[in-house]
Amino acid sequence: MDEKILEISNLRTYFFTEAGVVKALDGMSLEVNRGQAVGLVGESGSGKSVTAQSVLRIVPRPGRIVEGSVKFEGEELLTKKEDEMRKLRGRKMAIVFQDPTTSLNPLYTVEKQLVDILMLHRDLTKEDASKQALHLLERVGIQDPERRLKAYPHELSGGMKQRIAIARALSCDPMLLFADEPTTNLDVTIQAQVLELLKQLQKELSMTMVMITHDMGIIADMTERVTVLYAGKVMEVADTSTLFKSPKHPYTEALLKAVPSVKQTRALEVIPGNIPNLISPPTGCVFHPRCRYAKDICVKTEPTLENVDEKHLVACHFWRELSLEGKGR
Amino acid sequence: MQADKEVGTPVLEVNSLVKYFDVLERGIFRKRKIGDVHAIDNVSFHIFTGETLGLVGESGCGKTTTGKVILCLETPTSGTIRFEGKDVVDTFENGNQNDSKQLRRSMQMVFQNPYNSLDPRMTIYDIISEPFVIHRNIPKNRWTDRVYELLRMVNLEEYHAERYPHEFSGGQRQRIAIARALAVDPKFVILDEPVSSLDVSIRAQILNLLIDLQRKEHLCYLYISHDLSSVRQISQRVAVMYLGEIVESAAANELFDRPLHPYTQALISAVPVPDVDHKGSRIILPGEVPSPINPPQACRFHPRCPHATDVCKQVAPKFEDRLVKGHFVACHHADKFV
Amino acid sequence: MSQLREAVKLSERQSRRAASQWAVAWRRFRRNKSGVIGCAIVVFFVLVALIGPFLVAYPARSYQSLYEGDAGDPPSFKHPFGVEISGIDVFSETVDAAKNDLYVGLAATLITTVIGVALGALAGYFKGAVSDVLLGVTQMFFVIPTLLLILLFARVFSVLVFKGLGLTLIVLILSFFGWSSIAFIVRGETLRLKDMEFVQAARSLGARSFRLLFRHIVPNILSPVIVIATLDIAGFILTEVVVSFLGFGDPNTSTWGLLLNEGFPYVRTTWWVALFPGLAVVICVLGFNLLGDGLSDALNPRLRE
Repeated sequence: MDEKILEISNLRTYFFTEAGVVKALDGMSLEVNRGQAVGLVGESGSGKSVTAQSVLRIVPRPGRIVEGSVKFEGEELLTKKEDEMRKLRGRKMAIVFQDPTTSLNPLYTVEKQLVDILMLHRDLTKEDASKQALHLLERVGIQDPERRLKAYPHELSGGMKQRIAIARALSCDPMLLFADEPTTNLDVTIQAQVLELLKQLQKELSMTMVMITHDMGIIADMTERVTVLYAGKVMEVADTSTLFKSPKHPYTEALLKAVPSVKQTRALEVIPGNIPNLISPPTGCVFHPRCRYAKDICVKTEPTLENVDEKHLVACHFWRELSLEGKGR
Repeated sequence: MQADKEVGTPVLEVNSLVKYFDVLERGIFRKRKIGDVHAIDNVSFHIFTGETLGLVGESGCGKTTTGKVILCLETPTSGTIRFEGKDVVDTFENGNQNDSKQLRRSMQMVFQNPYNSLDPRMTIYDIISEPFVIHRNIPKNRWTDRVYELLRMVNLEEYHAERYPHEFSGGQRQRIAIARALAVDPKFVILDEPVSSLDVSIRAQILNLLIDLQRKEHLCYLYISHDLSSVRQISQRVAVMYLGEIVESAAANELFDRPLHPYTQALISAVPVPDVDHKGSRIILPGEVPSPINPPQACRFHPRCPHATDVCKQVAPKFEDRLVKGHFVACHHADKFV
Repeated sequence: MSQLREAVKLSERQSRRAASQWAVAWRRFRRNKSGVIGCAIVVFFVLVALIGPFLVAYPARSYQSLYEGDAGDPPSFKHPFGVEISGIDVFSETVDAAKNDLYVGLAATLITTVIGVALGALAGYFKGAVSDVLLGVTQMFFVIPTLLLILLFARVFSVLVFKGLGLTLIVLILSFFGWSSIAFIVRGETLRLKDMEFVQAARSLGARSFRLLFRHIVPNILSPVIVIATLDIAGFILTEVVVSFLGFGDPNTSTWGLLLNEGFPYVRTTWWVALFPGLAVVICVLGFNLLGDGLSDALNPRLRE
């Protein structure tokens, strides 16, 4: 099924702050097919969270989408009225946020938070919604769901809160789920639980999932296709195994080399320099100040996304000439 | 790798360290103690010169508290801490000021959050030279040179000394924190999650810098982290903590390649591996990390352990290296995994 | 300081904008319109207080206009704010009162801030009996109805009024009762900062309590303290107005409250006696409030990163 459920082209989201214009997303493109598990990987300032916010059009002020197109199931989202967007949020698209402590309302019980959404998007009575909420908690593997329903968020552990956030996101059977660093704040063993849960649910519900993370391990484990973002621009797009085994962008190569692995001790290669200032980003290729292969043209001209083959795109002037190391055999 | 070091006196010796926090209930005039948080329960380890001991565990296991107690930022409930043979707790509580200060100079700490560990109102120069003000071990006319020397050691520039913390990125702030810790020529540095709040591409910089400095300045480190991958990079020995106790301790490669404690196994298998060909099945532990206020009886891990039997619920396992020399583990069934 | 460092400092200063907390705050403050207006108003009143008394036609508390036959006259060119029935020129009095009201506001604020910061920091920093006792005392002072006690104390010690210390008496009484809100804020901030990692770091470097408190904690709580102090000045001026209006103040020193007290009974006829001092109070207090608001914005601890 190669039906495109989400098509982002040339998206630019800028934040207009006192200090200047922060170009959080500067010409980002993304295509997601129905039922796929897709990864969006990048560090802080890469624009990965802003992407999810832009699709749902919940970019906080002083941010604004200034240019581009976002098509969901063929329909353009950026021209829709707020009313129409509200019908989509929660119902067709949902986000699971990074910190469940702040994404769940501390004043209401779990039940109320789930029932509210169920009654909003579906015509259910309160009793039916409560029953459905209970069923949702079971679905996400929460023990003793009757008791947990009546609990307040602060009475629950981090892992449980995140499960509830997932339950809430899935409550109306959305077609597209954004998971924005869903396990970053959790302990390692709880992270494993939540990732397993997401994997399971994605398969069961044939849901399209966009996994936003900085962790290459999660990308390797959970996604089929991945987009690498840096400073608001797309560096490389490929199937996950291709990206790991034969990366074509120096940033991807550097990222793979800089990540320590629990499976082996080896020397880490350092990426020199820092994440660029998004108010005045570097000219030409935004990665050039830190790139070991950079030449004159990289400082002057911004590379466009080119096809390595049908499924593999890269934005680098020298992808043909460079032979980069991946993590293959 | 187990470096060939003189098996003499360890630089740091922690024996049977215990730290309980009181759980208090507020009355009208006084607070009543209604329980204990068993933050650290009977922890022992040694660190030798030039060695890094990695201390891993999840939240609530007591690893950060261990670091704080070693420096006496929190007083231990019981147990001994010896630094180069001297009793640390005794020196800080009863010893004279000179001895106290000298001990402070020898044992330093780099904190987790680079955004909070530097005083936002001081310039970098003031921050790095503060130890000189406190200890007065360097003559004033040499301060500038020393500050600049330290900045260069951590790959920063002289002009950075005139700036304020908020002008720097997380990675740069951590470097400043490291420079500050090294200002007094310590022999032992506790690193509490130094790279956890940093971006992936910056982590490698800081880790490599730490390894480099350790070699050049002959330091020993206690590296506290929940990030197993970085622990493996930097440590020669690793100890795993669960609910205030050390459940396993061995040379880094030995522990990661052949973990003997079920918790360690689960911990290692839970880390996502950045390798598409990796086909390990994850061990998923049921339930949540229990609260340290009422830890389970006998083996504290038994409620979540896939291999637990009756004896695990009744008898606390001994922490010993019976099965593999140098590889300590506290589990009744460790022989299954050798 | 070494020559090298001098050179480095100089080149830094030339090439970059100053980045200290104060420099950043000043730049932010300048952009805040209401804050700048508030500042202008405050500066205006300070100038009036300092220079005004030398420029007005009639000395303080003088009934001269009575002899000039102008008693009870409405505002005119000669008497811009009119004349009281008793012969006191309202304009001269209002200008004169400025320095007294500002004195009360500033002095009381200064004393309460010093006490509040000291006690609050001690209460927040130390654990145990000291802290509990200080907290209890602060709570006690916070809870008791201060206005009533102020009035009571003003009466009881009114003998001082006749010794010419009327205003100082007000200042002392206001200070005695008014330090608890600053103490609370300071205590809260101290508690928060005490556990911050940069304080822990200083401790691990060997710093002792004194250094931790005065080099690290107090400088970091100055921001909210400055804002509260500015708002307190307005508050104390208002309290003085109330105290004098009710007749518990010093009848020999002109303050706006005293003028209101004198003008109130005749507000139907000689309305100008109450109006102009009243306006002065409103504008002055507004000025301090706007300034406090502007400072609050500018000193906001969340520095952009």
